[in-house]
Amino acid sequence: MIAPLFAAAVAQPLVGAAILATAASLWLLLPNGRERPAARGLGWLLGLAALAAFVAAGRRLGGLGEEAVFLVVSLVAVVSAAATIVSRSPVYAAIWFALSLAGVAGVLLVLGAQFLGVATIVVYAGAILVMFLFVLMLAQPAGLAPYDRVSNEPFLSAIAGAVLLGALSLSIGRLSAAPVTCCAPPSRATAPPAPGEDAVASAAPSAGSSAATAVATTAAADRLADQHVARLGGELFGRHLVAIEAAGVLLLVALIGAIAIVARGETERMDGDDARSGGRASR
Amino acid sequence: MNGANLPLLQNALTVGAILFSLGLVGILTRRNLIVMFLSAEMMLQGIAVSLVAWSRYHGDWGGHVLVIFILTVAACEAAVALVFVLQAFARTGRLDSAAWQSLREATIARTVDHELPAVDTVPPRFPTLTRAGVLPPADEDEPLQRDHV
Repeated sequence: MIAPLFAAAVAQPLVGAAILATAASLWLLLPNGRERPAARGLGWLLGLAALAAFVAAGRRLGGLGEEAVFLVVSLVAVVSAAATIVSRSPVYAAIWFALSLAGVAGVLLVLGAQFLGVATIVVYAGAILVMFLFVLMLAQPAGLAPYDRVSNEPFLSAIAGAVLLGALSLSIGRLSAAPVTCCAPPSRATAPPAPGEDAVASAAPSAGSSAATAVATTAAADRLADQHVARLGGELFGRHLVAIEAAGVLLLVALIGAIAIVARGETERMDGDDARSGGRASR
Repeated sequence: MNGANLPLLQNALTVGAILFSLGLVGILTRRNLIVMFLSAEMMLQGIAVSLVAWSRYHGDWGGHVLVIFILTVAACEAAVALVFVLQAFARTGRLDSAAWQSLREATIARTVDHELPAVDTVPPRFPTLTRAGVLPPADEDEPLQRDHV
């Protein structure tokens, strides 16, 4: 595990330096119970250096505009993600996470996933994050709690993150444009499926359809762009209809389960209020 | 398959890998249950970026569909897990994962907190706004705002 990582770090010194700087920056910036302004400043500097190295080591995209947009949104996503895990206050962490979600939605939009970009904003930032903040405001004591000012093993965790990131970068850097030979090519939705038509049937292009041949000649990047949301809906409710139904059942079960757990906890709390208040006072 | 898309794929996969690793570090280090949960969600975001990048590279809908199911499962997971967090808070009065360390393995050492100053030493920084209107009469017993968030 370590030996190929070391060899890759020698082969790609920029990426290796970026990963090491990221780990050192996280180790310095994670809360550790003491206030060390010099260490925090050094951590920020190392983080900036790691970002610059990652940007310099990244592959150049085709167009300048696309590259600039991708750079901005991915920097927003990554920097706010780092700020999420190093902020001491959980409320600030949640708000940084919202900004990171905005960056991730931007990355998804650059990648051509219009529906998913908007859905990330609506579902995550609009619903899930508000739930988080609600629970935080309900449960957070005034002032920073002691457990928010310390971390579990920041050094070892930063090492673990660096090893994982190194392994992932290694395999990402080895990707090549060679066609996959081992497996059958993935099925492609070539045309908007007609209502009631099975999507499996639409995966095989009908020979006479001029639309199918026109779509097949376009690049893979544009294959998903044409009538994106309508065809995504066709794919979801055609080929993946059973999975959609299962997901709906899962949402219902989670809803009922959450309510049931809360209701049972409330009655338990009312029953054993005396014993529990005694127990909490001793802590 | 499509060589022109390879740089975008690699860059997007790198962003996903960084998000996943940051989430891993967060879930390993932080002790606040909610921040741990945010880190888990961040790992899911990294996966979503990677899946959509692969989907674009291959021109296939599979990644998009999988991310939609990830969103669904994450919503369910957030609802159920926040209920558990609230129950844990009701039992211990803390959002601390170390409050439940009696559940740990017998071979794992006990988490012992070091001595911390009772009051956080970092002064809170609030945004300064231009004063407008009349200052409402302050109740001495009840502060207008928390001194920290």
